[in-house]
Amino acid sequence: MTPQDVLDRARLVVVTGKGGTGKSTVAAALAMAGGLRGRSTLVAEVEGRQGLAPLFGKRVLGHDEPRVATRVNGLAVDPEASLREYLGRYGFAPLARLLTWAKLTSIITAAAPGLGDVLLVGKVWEAATRPGLNAYELVVLDAPPTGRVVPFLRAPETVAELARVGPIRHQADRVKALLDDPKRCAVLLTCLPEELPVTETLEAAATLRAAGLPLAGAVVCRVTPDRLGSRASRLAALAKDPAPLAKAAAEALGGSGGMVPRPDGSRAEPMAVAGPPDGSGPLEPDSLGVLIGEARDRQRQVNRERRLIKELAAGLEGLPVAELPLLPDGASGPEAIRTLAEQLLDSPLASPAPTRVHA
Amino acid sequence: MNANANAKANANANAKANAKADRKARPERDSASPLLEIVENARIVICCGSGGVGKTSTAAAVALRAAERGRRTCVLTIDPARRLAQALGLDLLANTPKPVRGKGVPSAGDGAGPGSLDAMMLDMRRTFDEVIERYARDEEQLDRILANRFYQRLSSTLAGTHEYMAMEKLYELHESHRYDLLVVDTPPTRSALDFLDAPDRLNELLDARAFRLLIAPARRVGGGYLKGLNLATTAMTRMVRRLTGSELLAEVGEFFAAFEGMYDGFKERAQRVYELLKLGSTAFVVVATPEAGALREAGYFANRLAADRMPLGALVVNRVHQARPIPEVPASALERLAGGGADARLLAELLEQHHALEALAAAEQERIASLLARVPNIGVVQVPLLADDVHDLAGLRRLGARLFAPIPVSPGHPDGVG
Repeated sequence: MTPQDVLDRARLVVVTGKGGTGKSTVAAALAMAGGLRGRSTLVAEVEGRQGLAPLFGKRVLGHDEPRVATRVNGLAVDPEASLREYLGRYGFAPLARLLTWAKLTSIITAAAPGLGDVLLVGKVWEAATRPGLNAYELVVLDAPPTGRVVPFLRAPETVAELARVGPIRHQADRVKALLDDPKRCAVLLTCLPEELPVTETLEAAATLRAAGLPLAGAVVCRVTPDRLGSRASRLAALAKDPAPLAKAAAEALGGSGGMVPRPDGSRAEPMAVAGPPDGSGPLEPDSLGVLIGEARDRQRQVNRERRLIKELAAGLEGLPVAELPLLPDGASGPEAIRTLAEQLLDSPLASPAPTRVHA
Repeated sequence: MNANANAKANANANAKANAKADRKARPERDSASPLLEIVENARIVICCGSGGVGKTSTAAAVALRAAERGRRTCVLTIDPARRLAQALGLDLLANTPKPVRGKGVPSAGDGAGPGSLDAMMLDMRRTFDEVIERYARDEEQLDRILANRFYQRLSSTLAGTHEYMAMEKLYELHESHRYDLLVVDTPPTRSALDFLDAPDRLNELLDARAFRLLIAPARRVGGGYLKGLNLATTAMTRMVRRLTGSELLAEVGEFFAAFEGMYDGFKERAQRVYELLKLGSTAFVVVATPEAGALREAGYFANRLAADRMPLGALVVNRVHQARPIPEVPASALERLAGGGADARLLAELLEQHHALEALAAAEQERIASLLARVPNIGVVQVPLLADDVHDLAGLRRLGARLFAPIPVSPGHPDGVG
């Protein structure tokens, strides 16, 4: 697998990142992108937050893997259900019933460190390697945040250290084989175009590499789109002398470009006179000043983000870095996720010149 | 009444009506920041919220301001990424408070006043070890626990341990009476509940008698009704052993055996910490950004705090976008601009960006308002998006200037240009 085709070739994509950097959003968008590419996809969350459900316009996701978008199913892994399933698989069904009856699951999963994680990781592994009719071609995992992700993914091994024989050992080996295989598994880090998140993402990248996990790239969320490009270089001059814009405004909107402050002096009021017949008012110099000031602020932000994303890319040594734009209404529902999914299909995480399968 | 007086009376009536309308439209004109009262009087401030919302810098800015106001202040952070260390220009923080050095930072004995600022970063494992040390009967029990592999994993990986140890350290510092104000930056848990539930969960675990029965069949279980339970657990234990091999259970059993007799101390302490959090001199500051997810968590937390009767101090919303008003430009004029020369097209682009910013600002205000409608009465401080990340003392002071500024005319516009 080259780094470029994470979305098209990986069997399991693990999405992690610092809290608040868009982990669930990216996991949902990646899953939807996988579905758009024609791959039968499962997106799973493991922290009991129901963070994915609203992104697909659902109230909750269950353990029964409901369909949430075209060719995408969703799963909120439930430790209790996983434990029952797990014990059942290894012929311990009576124990599973007893645990449910005695409400001992929470105690057991809390008490044996990592045992809860073993069950969660085990369930994700099962979904990613499931044979037959219910098999998935792609499983996207909305994983715990970076601070916890390595112990989480390595939980089967940690517990297996103590359990040198038996089914736990056996399963741990097979989970590790999947997670360590860069042909089948890709770990992606989410990030924001801000200083501390970039630093922390690079720290997390080092941790993941040290743990031998196949880091495959990063997704930077909430990037300010650069809509001015080279025209931005004119802003400084325009701030000093907005005459060219005043002229353009006068031509399109009417008015003289003169100042007409409101009686309380707080801001310009559109003039009722000299406007074109459609009733629009002119833009006065102080309004132009507002527009130019905002554009300069925005451009400073754009430049700062470019610099930080460059820093991130350099630190990731050639791994692909995808960018997702800041959406005005936030990434709050299926429409926004679809927009972001399409961006991902045009990003370095997907193969170029794809054959898209339309919904 | 002559015409002149009549006009005057009318003008007066108008002025009154205007003033009334003004008050009605601007009920919060220049009211003080709810953080002012907190920074002057609170003994404990707990900053909570989801990750990445500026909790650490908010906590540090509050602590710095308190120190500058003459209070002996300590800020306690737990974040593993050592963000506060960066924010305070420190490379490393020990598991005990250390003075923050920097230009203009008050310190004990600098002759400038009683204020001082210390900072510490929580080392979870060391704090847990200290707790075990405190409650252990003797050296032998202490050594047995510290050497146990189950304990070693428990103390560094179990979810909730961070939260519990933060409360433990807070209690210890509070009892030391070294500070007028302790500011706590809570762990970056996504689930707001974790923080309040962690002590209970950990206690439940340590006091899991059922679990001890399950994993320690070698120990005497007693007679009577326990005998039946014992039979069941023996059967279960056999199965668990087959499932995991025996060593895991042996380690766990050993841990619980070594831990015998320490539960009560743990439990009592957790109860005292919980009571401390409920005092009127404690203030929870819920931190968020105007994004839907962060606000949802903030709302959840505010309601949970209210349900637990915890003192809710303020809601801080960081990184709020704002647009300054300009006259409306009709769509037809925008079209003319977009189809014009280079300058006209640039102007059209600037207008479009302005409208996008307006829409973003409006959407954020709507989200904040809808959160406020769902939570108990709480003072709100909005901090506009700052030009730079906060990573030094100057940045903390800039943030502080926003946090402690009077709440402006319209809550919709943090700069009061509403």
